[in-house]
Amino acid sequence: MMSLTSYLLISLVLFIVGLVVMISRKNIVAILLGIELILNAASLNFVAYSRYVTNNLDGHIFSLFIIVVAAAEAAVGLAIVIRFFQIKETIHIDEATQLRN
Amino acid sequence: MFVQILFILSALLTVGCAIAVAVTKNIMHSCIFLLGSLIGIAGLYATLGADFVAVTQIMVYVGGIVILMLFAVMLTGGKDFASRAQNLLGLAPSMGNKWTYAAGLFVGLVFFLTNLKLILNISEFFPDKKFGNEFPSTVTQIGHLLVKDHVLAFELSSVLLLGALVGAAIIARPRKQ
Repeated sequence: MMSLTSYLLISLVLFIVGLVVMISRKNIVAILLGIELILNAASLNFVAYSRYVTNNLDGHIFSLFIIVVAAAEAAVGLAIVIRFFQIKETIHIDEATQLRN
Repeated sequence: MFVQILFILSALLTVGCAIAVAVTKNIMHSCIFLLGSLIGIAGLYATLGADFVAVTQIMVYVGGIVILMLFAVMLTGGKDFASRAQNLLGLAPSMGNKWTYAAGLFVGLVFFLTNLKLILNISEFFPDKKFGNEFPSTVTQIGHLLVKDHVLAFELSSVLLLGALVGAAIIARPRKQ
């Protein structure tokens, strides 16, 4: 039961749920939630391959760097969301039509 | 046996909370379900023998990113946050409607079907090796790898984090009137 296939299936389901969230939500914070789910799916794939295929720790290092990049991305993305809300008074993605007001 | 029980519980928590993120009506509930999904992924890392990655996942994601998301949701509440459902799916207007959900489910279904056959036949490419139940600690090896083989990426990630910190502070500063 605990094999590479089961981990890849869980990762596939996570990626697809993240994709559905990113496509169907109209709220910018919800789109960022979908991005986090997709990054976690990729990270889980790295660790699963690292245990079942290559047998070294390079996948763990990749996973740690994915977490670092996700933290930076979340900080900058949420700063942009807060700035956008200060200007437009909404966080609906369809209102984001200009680079500057 | 214990590892298998942990695997089943973590997998159910991860997938169930992720689906709840996609279908719940309230953005605040969505953030809380993302918290459950990330904890489940940390459990999956633990079943893979990645103890350091699991603890880092809990500290950075659960302790940092989701809290940041909750702050952003509360700071950008506005009128969309309080508005009640008007459309077919019973969602608030800013959370999507039936057409966006139909498009998302279509794309997800196509992606699922195109990848399912490859994943189910993955054991042909990578035959399963026999692993025991031993989980050696990975912290020492990860520390050696970070300062020997991957030292350039390690230093660049510190530059990236500093840039993200300064950039976020500059972007979100109060607006001059």
